[in-house]
Amino acid sequence: MRPSLPIDGAVRWGYATNHWKPGFMGFARREEHERAFKVTAACGFSAIELTAGSGRWEPLGRPESIALNYGSLAGFRSMLAEWGISAVASIYYDPGQMSFDDLHHGLSPLDEAQHAEILRIASLHLDSLAALGGHCLVVRPAPSHWQTGEPDAAALDRVARCWAAVAGAAQERGLVVGLHVDSLSALRSLAAIESLLERLPGKAVGLAIDTAELAIAGHDVVALYRQLHRRVVHFQFKDAMARDELGEYRLPNAERALIQAGGERRVARWFGELDTGPGLVDFPGLASAIRELGYRGWIIVESDRGPAPVAAGMMTNAWYVQRVLAPIVAGLTPALP
Amino acid sequence: MDHWRVDTAQGPLSQYTSREHLDTFLRQIAAVGFEAIETFDFHLGVMRELFGSLAACREFMRSRGIDRVLSLFHAVMYDERQSTPHVRATHERMFQYARHIMESSQGLGVQNFIVMPAGLYYDVEPVTDDKIRACAELWSRIGRMTLDYGIRTCCHHEFFCGIRSAEELRKFYEWSDPRYVYYYCDTAQHVIADVDPVALYERLHERCGGFHLKDTHHIDTSGDYRRRPDAEIMAPTTPRWFWEMGTAAGLVDFPALYRAMQRHGYRGWVGVEHDKADIGGSNYPESTAVAAWYIRKVLDPIYS
Repeated sequence: MRPSLPIDGAVRWGYATNHWKPGFMGFARREEHERAFKVTAACGFSAIELTAGSGRWEPLGRPESIALNYGSLAGFRSMLAEWGISAVASIYYDPGQMSFDDLHHGLSPLDEAQHAEILRIASLHLDSLAALGGHCLVVRPAPSHWQTGEPDAAALDRVARCWAAVAGAAQERGLVVGLHVDSLSALRSLAAIESLLERLPGKAVGLAIDTAELAIAGHDVVALYRQLHRRVVHFQFKDAMARDELGEYRLPNAERALIQAGGERRVARWFGELDTGPGLVDFPGLASAIRELGYRGWIIVESDRGPAPVAAGMMTNAWYVQRVLAPIVAGLTPALP
Repeated sequence: MDHWRVDTAQGPLSQYTSREHLDTFLRQIAAVGFEAIETFDFHLGVMRELFGSLAACREFMRSRGIDRVLSLFHAVMYDERQSTPHVRATHERMFQYARHIMESSQGLGVQNFIVMPAGLYYDVEPVTDDKIRACAELWSRIGRMTLDYGIRTCCHHEFFCGIRSAEELRKFYEWSDPRYVYYYCDTAQHVIADVDPVALYERLHERCGGFHLKDTHHIDTSGDYRRRPDAEIMAPTTPRWFWEMGTAAGLVDFPALYRAMQRHGYRGWVGVEHDKADIGGSNYPESTAVAAWYIRKVLDPIYS
């Protein structure tokens, strides 16, 4: 039995948990968590990224839910350590998601009247992160384009004020905020992303690059990273199998119509595991750029909306990280297949 | 031991269906630390077909981090009309078939030729001393031949096979040639048959050729082992006999086995098996990763 090849160095690798829970039900019981995190640890990943959520079937979705299921955040961290997971590196929080606990159907950073509530909820997750050894609160900075259109300067100002407040709360806890621009985001262009970042100076807030989401939206991820590398605070690695060439991000309810249903082209799955098909993301190129430009922080690998069995996608990705990407990032020679 | 199936758009398929499926399978098991695979000898043909030769297949496996096919499980249709160990009239045919496997498996790095040393229990019973002696004669003869190819013949006792009880096992290993017949310790199979695998290993450690570490939640207390038509997946009492290491209801004392292995200075490969792990909604990759976690967290420290 070979130990998992070392992957952590100045850059640390973790794995997201979103593929274990594709819907409301499932992944609610502790024994399901135990198996999932043992699989994660067996693959060589020592940290995870949680997804914020609400309700009794989201036991890891917010701090009070974790406490209800594990006694306390410290109790949860202790169990994670027992299973081989040393930290919750990051939490993904989309204020636009409805919340049973907070009694709303989605909040918008474009609406200044909702900023205080977004800050309150984000602070809950920042508290969790601080207690669980984390670093980055990954947030969806703006609603979908089909909901709001491209934000003008005034709208970008409002969005920036929202996240500046959250970044301040993060800084107080020694954490950062990563703006996660996805394939449906109102922030479509590189210029829009740059404009928002310019409104948010400082080290407590930056860009969280989700390779697949940006590739689906038409970005060259390596070029985008090279352009914005000084502001990148977090990575999520997954491959993209297709671009949104028909501009269907404009469809009403594009989350369902495009991402889940596949749009007019009936794309079966937009995302893919690393090195398993004709993916759009140049991962060796991106890893080389990460090495060259001296990124320090977390890279979270994802099997977002992966098919069953979810362990298979994680194990496939682990092999590629261990043998190809982690060596490149560490300045070693990869064992290219 | 790769009982795997790959989920595809066509439903579950063998990982030997294509180079791509085999590639994914090898990456997945290498990622969690395994260094070799065991498979059935009926996969030799497709390995050759996919890669041109078994040597090329091994080269591909090595590029993914898997060094060799450690063991071949000998898949024989046991039937007293042509091949079954307790019927001496079938021995020559069985010997020639085993030799054919030896001739046709070169290039993969195989070290073990794993066999079920007797037919299904209900086909063998009553299990007489003479039948056990016949089995011992066959495997002693075949074991001598396979060593000429550098491969050990290892006997693996399914809970439903004709040599399963402590007394039957004692006689078989007493009457087979210790130079040529090795013992393969499948932990779950013994526990289901109400045989303590640790005690058995203690007694046969000098002849132990390897292990299939897997767990069970049930001991066969109602004679399923002799129930027609099948005990393994059709027993009315037990839909799933076999489990990966590390489940709460597991009955095998793996730490005790590891301590015994350390006491006897065991050096060599240890196999993990996920036999029918997909029964009841589980799946092979997850079972494999959970077992890998258990090895690292619980068993490795015993040896370190």
